[in-house]
Amino acid sequence: MKDSYTLKSLAVLLENNKISSKELTSEYLKNIENGKELNCYNTISQEKALIDAEKSDERRKSQNLRSKYDGIPIGIKDLFCTKGVTTTASSKILSNFVPNYESTVTQNCDDAGLIGLGKLNCDEFAMGSTNKTSFFGSVKNPWKSVNSDNELVPGGSSGGSAAAVSGDLCVASLGTDTGGSIRQPASFTGTVGLKPSYGRVSRWGIVAFASSLDQAGPITKTVEDAAILLDIISGHDEKDSTSSVNPKENYYENLNSDIKGMKIGIPKEFRSDKLPASTQKSWDECANLLKTNGAEIVDISLPHTMSALPAYYIIAPAEASSNLARYDGVRYGLRVEGNDLIDMYEKTRSEGFGDEVKRRILIGTYVLSSGYYDAYYIKAQKIRSLIKSDYVEAFKKVDAILTPSTPSTAFEIANEPSDPVQNYLNDIFTVPVNLAGLPGISIPYANDENNLPIGLQLITNSFEEQKLLNVAKNIEETINYSETPEKWWLK
Amino acid sequence: MEFDKKSLLKLGKLARISISDDKLNNLSKDLNSILEFVDQLKEIKTDQVDPTSNSLNQKLEVRDDKVDTKNSAEDILENAPEKEMDFFVVPKVIE
Repeated sequence: MKDSYTLKSLAVLLENNKISSKELTSEYLKNIENGKELNCYNTISQEKALIDAEKSDERRKSQNLRSKYDGIPIGIKDLFCTKGVTTTASSKILSNFVPNYESTVTQNCDDAGLIGLGKLNCDEFAMGSTNKTSFFGSVKNPWKSVNSDNELVPGGSSGGSAAAVSGDLCVASLGTDTGGSIRQPASFTGTVGLKPSYGRVSRWGIVAFASSLDQAGPITKTVEDAAILLDIISGHDEKDSTSSVNPKENYYENLNSDIKGMKIGIPKEFRSDKLPASTQKSWDECANLLKTNGAEIVDISLPHTMSALPAYYIIAPAEASSNLARYDGVRYGLRVEGNDLIDMYEKTRSEGFGDEVKRRILIGTYVLSSGYYDAYYIKAQKIRSLIKSDYVEAFKKVDAILTPSTPSTAFEIANEPSDPVQNYLNDIFTVPVNLAGLPGISIPYANDENNLPIGLQLITNSFEEQKLLNVAKNIEETINYSETPEKWWLK
Repeated sequence: MEFDKKSLLKLGKLARISISDDKLNNLSKDLNSILEFVDQLKEIKTDQVDPTSNSLNQKLEVRDDKVDTKNSAEDILENAPEKEMDFFVVPKVIE
C-alpha cells in the first residue's frame, strides 16, 4: 500500500486504468484484516464492498460514472444509518440494529460512487474523547510514543474514523462532531478533520446525540481531500429541517491557498500555562508562517471561552437525554424482559447503555427536570448566546481564528482519568465552535518530542468553509507535514 | 453535595434507568463532580441575555402536506423485538 494514496490521487489512478475499484477495495479490505488489532471497524462490509466495486468497474467501462471518485472505498462511522448494514452507535442497545433506510450523507456518497468498506468504531453514541466508551472496546491509535510501547487512545468520539485513515485502513472516512469528535481524534492521529457549519451537512439518518450541535464531516489525509468529501456530502436536504438552504460552493474547485491580506486572530483566552511547550511552539510558529505568507496576525479576545465547556455539559446531556428516550426496547434494539412495561424499560436501558451514556442521560434528565430547568438548561443557553456573540464580534475583525486543537497530544489508553470531568477537558478548544455553530478544521502541524502529532485548529464564520479550507491549504502547502505512523501492527 | 442515594434513585426513575446498589456510590460521586463543574456558570451574569437553542439563523421550513408511501408498517416493524400483525407487542399495561 502506498502511503501517498488520497482521494485525489486514487481518482487519477482509476481514470488511467492503473487500478480497478475491485483491486483497490480488495487492497483496503486486506489492510483492514491485517489491522484488526487496531479495532477500527465494528462491521466489515466485505461482500457488499466487493460487489459495489465490481459495479463501479462496470460503470467505468461503460463510461457511466457517478463522479470522478466513483469506485473509491471509504470508511463510515458507525453512527450513520446504512441500509442493510448493522448500525450500532457502538452501543449494546443497538448491537442488533440493521436499518432499512440510508442516511442522507451515506446516500450522497453512494450517489458519487464511493464504496463503504464498513462501519467504524466510536465512543458509545458519540459520547467520549478516547473511544473507550465503545461497547466493542477501545480503538488503538496507530501512533506510538518513541519512549514507550504502550498503546495510545486515538481520541474520540470518531476514534475509529481517524485511526483508520491514519493507519491506511481507508483513504478517507466520515465522522461526526458534537463537541470536537472529528477534530480531536484528527489531531491525535495526524489527520485532517473538518467539522462543517451547523446546517451545512444533513443530519438525517445519523444516530442523534445532541441535535443542535451534531454535524457530520470528513476525516482525510489532506485538505484537498477534505474539500472533495465535503463537496460530496454537503447541501440542503428537505428531510432535515435544520439543514441550510444556503447554496453550497465547489470547495475543491475553488481551493485557493493565497491568504495575502487576510487577518488571522489569536485568541488570548486559549493561552494556558498547562499547554505543552511543543504545542505552544507549533501554534506560535504557525502564526509566524501565516504572517510570512502575507496574512496579518491580530490578537483577539473571546471572553466567554472558559464557560463553553460547562455550558456544553448541560446542553449536550439535556438533548441526549431527550434523544435517547427512544431506546426503550419496544420498536428496535435490545429488549430485556421485565415484570411490567416500566420494569422492561428500566432493565433494557440499564443493561443496554454503558456508564458514560447513563451519566449523561441522568445529568440531562436532572437539568431538564422541574425546579432545575431555568437554573441549568436556560442558563446554559444564555451562556451559549454570549459565546456566539464573542465570535460574531471577533469575525468583524478577523477572517479566521487559529488555536491548538487539543490541550495535549494522544495519551495512553491505560492512563485515562477516572473522573469524567478530567476527560471532558480534552474538548476545551473544540466545544465553543459547536456551541456557536461554526466550521472548524484540525490539521496536523508537527510532531512533538515523543513523535506524536500536534494538531492546530482553524475556525471561520458560519458557512465560510471555503475560506477555512483555503487557509488550511496554505498552512499544509507551507509545512508539507508528511509524518506517518510506523505500522507496528503488521509485525 | 446534590446527589445522594435517594435523589439518584428518583432521577433513575425519571430517566427510566434502573440503578443497582453497587453502582450508587460511584455514580453519585461522578454526577456530583459534573454538577460542581457546571455550577461555575452561576457566577456569570445573564439577566439581560436571551437564550440560544440553535445556532442556525434560518426559519424552519414547512413541508408540503402530501401523501407518500414511505414508512410502511412492514418497514417500521422490521426491527421490533416482538410484534404481532401490524403491532408492537409490549408487556400487559392494563389489568
